[in-house]
Formats: sequence, C-alpha cells, structure tokens
Amino acid sequence: MSNNMIKKAGGFEILNHWVLAISFFILAISGFGFLFHLEQVGSAFGGFNQMRDIHNWSGVVFAVSLFLTMFKYLTVALNFSADDMAWLGKAGGYFSKKAQMPPQDELNAGQKLLYIVVLLLGIAISVTGVIMWLRPEMADVNKWVLFSFLVHNIASDIFVIAIPIHIYLATLANPGTLRIMISGTVPVEWARKRHAKWVQKLGY
Amino acid sequence: MGRMSILVSPELCIGCRGCQTACKEWNQLSGVKTENRGSTENPPDLTPNTFNKIRYVELPSETNMVRWLFVSQRCMHCGDAGCMKICPAPGALFRTDEGAVAFDKDKCVGCKLCVTSCPFNVPRYDEKNKISKCHLCAERIANRLEPACTKTCPTGALRFGERDALLGLAQKAGYAKVYGQADLEGLGAMYAFMDAPKIYGMNENPAIPESVVFWDNVLRPLAYLGLAGAVAASLVHYVAFGPKKIEEGKKDE
Ligand code: HEM
Ligand code: SF4
Ligand code: SF4
Ligand code: SF4
Repeated sequence: MSNNMIKKAGGFEILNHWVLAISFFILAISGFGFLFHLEQVGSAFGGFNQMRDIHNWSGVVFAVSLFLTMFKYLTVALNFSADDMAWLGKAGGYFSKKAQMPPQDELNAGQKLLYIVVLLLGIAISVTGVIMWLRPEMADVNKWVLFSFLVHNIASDIFVIAIPIHIYLATLANPGTLRIMISGTVPVEWARKRHAKWVQKLGY
Repeated sequence: MGRMSILVSPELCIGCRGCQTACKEWNQLSGVKTENRGSTENPPDLTPNTFNKIRYVELPSETNMVRWLFVSQRCMHCGDAGCMKICPAPGALFRTDEGAVAFDKDKCVGCKLCVTSCPFNVPRYDEKNKISKCHLCAERIANRLEPACTKTCPTGALRFGERDALLGLAQKAGYAKVYGQADLEGLGAMYAFMDAPKIYGMNENPAIPESVVFWDNVLRPLAYLGLAGAVAASLVHYVAFGPKKIEEGKKDE
C-alpha cells in the first residue's frame, strides 16, 4: 500500500461481499423464476426441481455470509450520530449539485442504514425460508408456513428494490467506490472527503 | 365439453365406501393400515393413498336416534384454486379442459406450499414428497369416461356430469342452494346439503387464505415493479444529477 492509499476493506471482507452478492443474485433470479413461472430460468438451473435445491442451499450460503458481515459492519452501522441524522436529512446530498455534507464515519449514514436493512431483512428471509423448507413438526405448522411465505415475499420485494439502488450508489453514482470491493484500498484524499471522521481517527 | 363436476348428495349415500375402493383400484393406490377408533369411518383422513373418503357424522337427536350423515371428501377442483395460485412450479398443478385440477409429479418440486393454500386441506404427499390427491380421474374424463368413484356409486350419491346440468338436477330435487355453486368461482365438487354445511363438517365460507390473495395481488407484481422502478430511478438520477461530486476543501474539517 503506497502512502497516499488507505485500506477500507480486507481480503476477507471483499471475498465475503462477493459470496453475499453472488448468492443473492442466484436467489433473486431463481426466486423470480418461481414467482413468475419463468421456464427459461428453470431450464437454466437444470429444471425447477434442481432450482429449488439450488435456491435453498444458496439461501444457506447467503445466511452464513450475512452472519460473517457482522464482525466488520455491525458496530459501525449501529453507531448513529447527529452527523448521520443530518446526512440523512440532506438525503446524502444526492439531490443537490454541490454537496456539502456533515463528516461521516467508516460508513456514511446511508450505508449504515443499508447495512441494518440488509441485516434485518436477511435474518427474516433466512428464518422464514428455513421454516418453509423444513416445515418443522409443530402445532399449526400451516399457519407458520403461511406467515413465513408472507414475510419471505415482503422481504424479497424490499431486497429487489434496495439492492439495485445499492449497486448504483456503489458504482455509477459514486465513482471510485467499487474498488473498495476489488482491491480494498482508496486514496486518502478520496476517503477524507467521504469519511472524514474515520480518516481522522486513523490519523491521516 | 363444458366444465365437468361431481354432485355429492349425502342424503342418498349409504356409506358403502365403494367409491373409496374404486378410486384405489383405478389409481392403483395401496391400502392404508389403520386402527379401530370406534367408528366405521376409515381411514380417519385423506392420505397420499386415499384420494377420497366418506366422512361419517353421527347426529343423534330425540326425534332421530340414528341420524348418520355420509359425506364424500375429495379435492373440490375449485374454480379459483388456492393450490394452483401458490404453486411455484409451472405445470405441477394444471387445469384440464374438463375443469379438473390435475397434477404432474415430475414437475412438482415438493415444496408443500399448496397444502397451506388449499381451503379444504386436501393435498397430501407421497414418500418422495410429491403431491398426491384426487385429479377427477383426469385421464378417464378426457376420454369421456366418468370417474371411477362416481361410476361405482350404487345410489346416485355421487353423480358426474356437466356442471350446469348437475346444478339443474339438484334444483329439481329440491335443493335451492348447492354448496360450492358460487364459492371460489364455483367448486368442481358440489354438495346438495339439507342442513347447514358445518353439520356435514364443511366450512361455511371456504376462501383462499388472505395472505396468499394479498401476495398474489400485491407482493408478486411488486417484485418486478419494484425491481424495474429501482433500476429506472437509478438511471433517471444518473441523468438528472450525475455522479456525486464533492467539492475540494469544503468537506474536510
Ligand atoms: C454487483 C453488485 C454489487 C456491487 C458492485 C457492490 C458494491 C459494494 C461496495 C463497493 C461496497 C463498499 C462500500 C464502502 O465500504 O464504502 C459494498 C458494501 C456492502 N454491500 Fe455491496 N455490492 C453489490 C451487491 C451487494 C448485494 C447483493 C448485497 C446484499 C444482499 C450487498 C450488501 C452490501 C453491504 C451490506 C455492504 C456494507 C454496507 C455498505 O457499504 O452499504 N452488496 N458493496
Ligand atoms: S380443493 Fe384444494 S387441492 Fe383441490 S383444487 Fe381446491 S385448493 Fe386445490
Ligand atoms: S408441493 Fe408440488 S404441487 Fe404443491 S405447491 Fe409445491 S410444487 Fe406445487
Ligand atoms: S374422481 Fe377419480 S381420483 Fe378423484 S376420488 Fe374419484 S376415483 Fe379418485
């Protein structure tokens, strides 16, 4: 790492992020296949029977990967400050041409929010998925499965809205961000403008 | 051929269970080991190998010590079928030209969601976790034969025919209201009840679970509308505002 570069994500975080993203895409595509009876998607997965197995096991991978994100992101995301509220009040500066934003931590307020949303939805969608999959022996199992079906679908609807926006913000909308999930490093000056409090804490 | 149905007339049923046997024979379903539960009703419920059965209801009263009701239970071949609505596997459950709700075990993925969405608790699972239920003898009726169960019935308690003709028949026999006439866009198994349906062990107002209807009407379309909307909003934002520019010097404190 050269002097003017700063490490924002380690190898483990980068790898885990792509495991999370790829398992998510498999889940979303096969999920749409089930939702809308898309025959081509079914054949791409080797038939609907096999697609069900792949969907369920990708869900396990997704859940484990999500669990592993907590070590890095949870404490950062839960630490919501007045600066974060101000940042959200200005909608992250995404709707004004000259952004003048309150200083941000390692994750900005929007990223914190995304993390919390993804974590909560991820837990909900995983638990309900397992209930539908295994139909545990219990009284009123049908009611639990129906409830799980409802929650699973609400969560997936929010996911397919939130994730494209996340991808947009991490690529086109914020040039230079994507390298965090490729090399893990960003220029100090780039980071200072976006994560001033974090850069200061690191002593740059 | 119009929509075909079964008309069940419990008042004509003598509880012989010929229909149960005929169904097993035609569909090559093995027997189910049961136990004596103090009733001739047997087995106690539908099973993967029991597509139909006679429910026995004993209603002793002062005027009639031995009022027995025999009610044939099976898949109702609902006009608006909860099982078909929720099923994620295309072709696993399908509607035949005659209006039956039939199934294809090869296409069934064994998720059992249809069980939760059926208003009549009908679908069962075989040992491979594949759906198993009455299919209105889809192959027989496609070949202009009547189902095995109705063909066997010696009393006319089970009748098969065009739905409208059966409704006319029931009306002529004095049943102003037929159970299943309008419920769920009309059931493919209708009942000529003399009393309130619940006495016969039937739900007064059968309905697909509200959460499934909500999912079908709102959550399912929202999946692609939401996805498309999020992608479109991102593109519009990119065109309108472009990538974020943070002005030099203003940001750092
Ligand atoms: C092609 C797809 C994706 C790209 C290009 C992408 C890109 C990125 C980048 C660059 C970051 C680092 C942001 C930072 O540290 O400042 C990040 C973080 C994150 N990503 Fe993704 N991502 C993608 C898909 C996904 C998916 C599918 C999920 C979850 C289902 C996800 C969940 C997260 C989470 C929870 C974080 C941490 C919080 C945050 O930075 O907002 N990502 N992503
Ligand atoms: S009775 Fe149940 S299994 Fe039969 S068609 Fe209606 S919803 Fe489907
Ligand atoms: S168990 Fe089979 S028939 Fe029932 S909903 Fe699932 S795929 Fe469809
Ligand atoms: S219609 Fe055929 S499959 Fe259905 S109960 Fe009668 S005999 Fe069995």
